[in-house]
Amino acid sequence: MNKSPWIFLGVLFAMSLSWWGMVFGPASQVNAAKADLGDGTSLHPRSGLAQQGEQIYRENGCYYCHTRTATGGTFGYEIQITQFGADEDLTREIIGEKFAANKIFEKAFAFKAVAGANDAKKAASEAVKAEGADVEAAEAGLEQAAEALTEAKTAANAIKTEETLIALGVSGVTIEGDLAGELGLPIEMSEADKSEVANATFAVSNGIEQWDEIKDTVRALKDRAGAQFKLLPVADEWPDVVNGVARRQSVSRDFLFDSHAMPGVMRVGPCLSNVGARQTDLNALYAKIYNSQAGGQSSHMPPYKYLFNVRAAEEDETLPADAVTISTGDGVTSVESGFVVTPTTKARALAAYLQSLRNDKGLPEAPLPAVREISNPEEGE
Amino acid sequence: MSEEETHNAPLAPEAKPEEINASCRGPVLFLFFSAALWAVQATGVGLLGSLKMHVPGFLADCPFLTYGRLQANAWVAFLYGFAGNAGLGLTLWMLSRLRGMPLAKPGFVLAGAFLWNAGVTAAMVGITMGDLPGVAGYELPAYASRVLLIGQSFIAFSAIITYFSRRHQQLYPSSWFLIAGLVAFPWIVGTAHWLLVETPVRGAAQIPVAHWTVTSLQQIWLGCMGLAAILYFIPKITGRELYSRQWAAFGFWMLLILGGWVNLNSGSPLPVWSIKLSQYASVLFIFVLIAIGWNLRQTAKGVPLLGSSDLTLQCMGFALGAWLITALFTFGNANSDWNNLLQFTYAGTAIRQFFAWGFFAMAMFGAVYYVAPRLFSGEVDWACSGAYKWIFRLTAVGAMVILLAGLGMSYGHGHALQTGSDEVLKKALMPMRIAFLGEILFFLSSLIFLGSMACLLFRNCGGEFSPMALIRKCRLDKAEGGAE
Repeated sequence: MNKSPWIFLGVLFAMSLSWWGMVFGPASQVNAAKADLGDGTSLHPRSGLAQQGEQIYRENGCYYCHTRTATGGTFGYEIQITQFGADEDLTREIIGEKFAANKIFEKAFAFKAVAGANDAKKAASEAVKAEGADVEAAEAGLEQAAEALTEAKTAANAIKTEETLIALGVSGVTIEGDLAGELGLPIEMSEADKSEVANATFAVSNGIEQWDEIKDTVRALKDRAGAQFKLLPVADEWPDVVNGVARRQSVSRDFLFDSHAMPGVMRVGPCLSNVGARQTDLNALYAKIYNSQAGGQSSHMPPYKYLFNVRAAEEDETLPADAVTISTGDGVTSVESGFVVTPTTKARALAAYLQSLRNDKGLPEAPLPAVREISNPEEGE
Repeated sequence: MSEEETHNAPLAPEAKPEEINASCRGPVLFLFFSAALWAVQATGVGLLGSLKMHVPGFLADCPFLTYGRLQANAWVAFLYGFAGNAGLGLTLWMLSRLRGMPLAKPGFVLAGAFLWNAGVTAAMVGITMGDLPGVAGYELPAYASRVLLIGQSFIAFSAIITYFSRRHQQLYPSSWFLIAGLVAFPWIVGTAHWLLVETPVRGAAQIPVAHWTVTSLQQIWLGCMGLAAILYFIPKITGRELYSRQWAAFGFWMLLILGGWVNLNSGSPLPVWSIKLSQYASVLFIFVLIAIGWNLRQTAKGVPLLGSSDLTLQCMGFALGAWLITALFTFGNANSDWNNLLQFTYAGTAIRQFFAWGFFAMAMFGAVYYVAPRLFSGEVDWACSGAYKWIFRLTAVGAMVILLAGLGMSYGHGHALQTGSDEVLKKALMPMRIAFLGEILFFLSSLIFLGSMACLLFRNCGGEFSPMALIRKCRLDKAEGGAE
């Protein structure tokens, strides 16, 4: 430590470690991130006014009071079966009696049985018509199949549930026409019915289980029972999602096309990571920017009146279409009584930028979690 | 000349302290006085910004004075204005004294200091006009960082020439920290300039670059200059040897290695591995804390630093304590729950302010108190050392108020954010309201510091043509005239 050149080199080397680790490494990784979301859609850069609005946001130093960083949290997994396998007993054993006792489960397998019996009856019917067949034996088979179908239908109709379409969806079978009518299903399905059947899921976990608790069930469902399913994260201790601040965690790709990434310093004001989805009323957004306390609202945000054109209103003047208004007891009035307030280009740009801030679409690395209904927040139940 | 002959060459004779002080007088005093001006600017603007936080409608119609712009201005004035000037001035003086040689090329220093201050001024004007780079904690527009880098290179050139002008048997640990400070600044600001402002990388990649820049500026650049002062003055004033060079070396290297990694928020939109690495680095930061703290504790064992009659020692004692507390906070950031709770609250800003004023500014105040009078020939002292004591008191109380408000009350804000309580705003503002008192105290201490520096210069600069000498002469003439 007495040779100054070594100190110089040592300083350069020591600092290069953190430079590689905190600058080069993460920057290289996120710099290589692609806009493609893998499902045929992709992220789009901001354009036009919204792009200019980022500059207004930066110029005014909004990031000192607002963050754009929705944080992550803990979550459980809900196993959502989209299609049961063939073996009812095995599936029952894997998911446990608690979930198997659900009428949807029973109905789904009853539908499977009906569909199977119907297919058998059709096959028997074909056998009767086949050339050179033993007609007596074939007719006996057909009669037997018809009886089996009747029994299956009776069994299916004995299971009473309102959610027959969901049961049909997760059964993985198709039942149409008169047979559907006999089973209490619509003979002609509407688009909504079709959608319900297509998107049907059946939960076989509570949504609070961690991966270690469900991994055996997941493997058994996949490998042994042949079921099709998906895993849905359910927010547990996830304040930003549970409190409605955001729909998911903010990740690097949310800043992919930003000219200047401004994740923010403090949350004196609300987090803006999903403000575009929360605040869809453009006039209300203008009113908030112009004077956040207008209309008696409680807020600590300074007014940004210099972003608006303000002129005195003439007597009995009707407010122009682009005037910023608020709703009060007297109806819709100007945000500033006696004045006509209209947004300047800067205000329009800022509002467009704010409305572009959304995280209500899931990303592969940040899926949208479900939020459990909490009847008693104190107990988390 | 062979290498062996070079090593065996006799050491150049050491210059006298008076000669060294004389060589440093102009450039270092210029830097110190500039620092005093910027300190007032930083605290004044910061105070105005905080006032706007408490009274949102105050000056709201003026786009130049938004809360964001004022906060950016205040930090730029402190970091580059006060800390840069004071730190570079002290670096030059300490390197000259530690090498035992007069300051080389003082003209370069003066040119560099002018450029440096021009750069800070350009940044202030730019930010006021709305040219913020969008990186809180850095906030240098491109044109300002270019000028700052050129100015720093001029000053560093003089420091390096001074440094190599005489071979020494042993480098004192403060020298390592000073060299690191000189090397670190262009690297950090250069990285930020090119990757964030001049040719910005993609938005997502800017976040890790910005974090590294801000953390390195604080932990490495300010940390090195401040710790160099503490390691120099505590042993010097207590008249003791530094307890252990090995501990100092360990602390030095660990600080350089870990300084850029620490304090990443656990909610940052970055790859998880980088957040985990930052947490590990924060855990390891305990070794920096132990190495520096233990070494200085053993050095000053039995000496009550804060209770000392020597003001410089008091300042260094407080600065050391403040550095240890912020290092402990850095270590605490490794805890995810703690980090989650405090990451978007005032706590981070409070710790930054505590580090800036409690540690760095306090170390500089103590060092300037010791150095500035010695730069003049003869027996010169502060015009009113009692006033200088108030700089220490006000800064110390202000720093403690901000620390306690920031850490104590931000818990409530963090908890409200977690639970989604309706009282988020109230809880957010409470620590800032208390901290406002601390900012007022900083402003007062900066004013006294500026006044003390001005008095020292007016009394002693320019010999018989100094303002004070001229005033005295006028009074004398008037008195003599009156007698006649």
